Amino acid sequence: MANGDGPVIEYRNVYKAFDAPVLSGVSLTVRPGEMFALFGPSGTGKSVLLKTTLSLIVPDRGDVRVNGESVYFGGRKTLELIREKVGYVFQYAALFDSLSVFANIRMGLPESVLERLSPREVAAKTWEALELVRLEPRQVLSKLPAELSGGMKKRVGIARAIVGRPEILLWDEPTTGLDPVNTAAIERLIKQLSDDLEVTSLLVTHDVEGGLEMCDRVAMLEGGHLQFCGTPEEFRNSDIPVVRAFADRAQAYAALDVLDIS
Amino acid sequence: MPGPVARPLAAIGRVAKICAEHAGQIGTLVWLSGRALVRLRVSRQEIMRQVVVIGVQSIPIVLVTAILAGTVAGQQGGYQFQSTVPTYIIGSVVTTSMVLEMGPILTAIVLVGRVGARITAELGTMKVSEQIDALHSVGRDPIEILAAPRIVASLISMPILVAMANLIGVLAGMVASEISLGLASEGYFYGARLYWHSYDAVYSLMKALAFGFIIPVVSIHMGLRTSGGAAGVGRTTTQSVMFMIMTILIVDTMFPPLLLQ
Repeated sequence: MANGDGPVIEYRNVYKAFDAPVLSGVSLTVRPGEMFALFGPSGTGKSVLLKTTLSLIVPDRGDVRVNGESVYFGGRKTLELIREKVGYVFQYAALFDSLSVFANIRMGLPESVLERLSPREVAAKTWEALELVRLEPRQVLSKLPAELSGGMKKRVGIARAIVGRPEILLWDEPTTGLDPVNTAAIERLIKQLSDDLEVTSLLVTHDVEGGLEMCDRVAMLEGGHLQFCGTPEEFRNSDIPVVRAFADRAQAYAALDVLDIS
Repeated sequence: MPGPVARPLAAIGRVAKICAEHAGQIGTLVWLSGRALVRLRVSRQEIMRQVVVIGVQSIPIVLVTAILAGTVAGQQGGYQFQSTVPTYIIGSVVTTSMVLEMGPILTAIVLVGRVGARITAELGTMKVSEQIDALHSVGRDPIEILAAPRIVASLISMPILVAMANLIGVLAGMVASEISLGLASEGYFYGARLYWHSYDAVYSLMKALAFGFIIPVVSIHMGLRTSGGAAGVGRTTTQSVMFMIMTILIVDTMFPPLLLQ
């Protein structure tokens, strides 16, 4: 699966239409180890593009490559291997309602890994994943998702995505529905995890200020086309009107230190 | 704007497209479920859990339905046949109608409401809340985890439920005809045996298997097609119930010409 210095994720001319066109020939690359944010108004296909990375949505045309391997033309085995290497954090966590927190996180371990591990080792990995997302394992392991708060659900969703130690993390609007302080806390967690686990991260978010703060490069999707791709600095100084409209937002980070929230 | 000729043709085309889409997706679901079973990728523990949900927990409502159906058949048969044919004929009428028709069809209708609607709503909710996508993302196959165990459990449960419904319905008919007609149980069973064919039981169980296949397949298929949030789940569940009932009734009408001649 290694791809040398080539792009870790590569979208090649991706088209997707539902009732109307959503993605109209989007091409984008994410480099090894970088943290990349994708901005754009609601309904412009950011999540659709993210889902094509794991074939959760199949594009009408174009290709997506992960570590140089085609998601769509590489066969079932390749897709399975890609899914083992990629962790996906869903917008509303998408925890399995009928399973406990422990069983939810356990599901994040690939079957090939589960076969090799003893129950004690699985429990240790689950415990460690919860600690990484700043949750107290003893308090939440046996709970059902319905018993958790919104912020805790997001953290369990992140724990499920990282428990298998992926090389790539895809974040689909992980701060949606959270208050500004929790939003900043989750964003700080995203940054820490991406650094600590040395993963490549692709983050879809509406929170432009947070994305600019955390990411090495950012892109802007609008009207089915990529309108901008560059560094946060270039984004802030861009003359493109739609980019300008997105670049201005108050910061919530200052509140974290005041309230001592990790 | 399409003209008056083109409009109905376009409508027919749309319906044909939807039918072909459903047929293709159902075919794929059945094929993938069968493949998962052959490859032993389906958890036995999950199958047993689903047997409890689909079969064991349905026993009370199925039995109540069968008792009511047998009682009505016994009472109405008695009313119709009184002073025209020997009363022991009621035994045959109730037994035959329960085994050939009422047992399988009523059990199926009860399971559509109790199990089919539940499966569609459950999987539909999983679909709209991205839990199905989450399964794919962690490399798990929803067909192996969600679909195949439910299909197998329904195929195991349905014949047992229908056999129980048949038996209880016949006994309820006996009690009803004794109360309403004064027909002794010996007379009732004499009539029942007089026109009994062992093949009738096989026919009844074949219907049970057919309906036991239709209910999970249609409900899973509809659940996995759900879109549009909570409203979508409600809409799809209603459509699923209609789809299951229509399919069961159509298949039911195909049974006599194919298997009773």
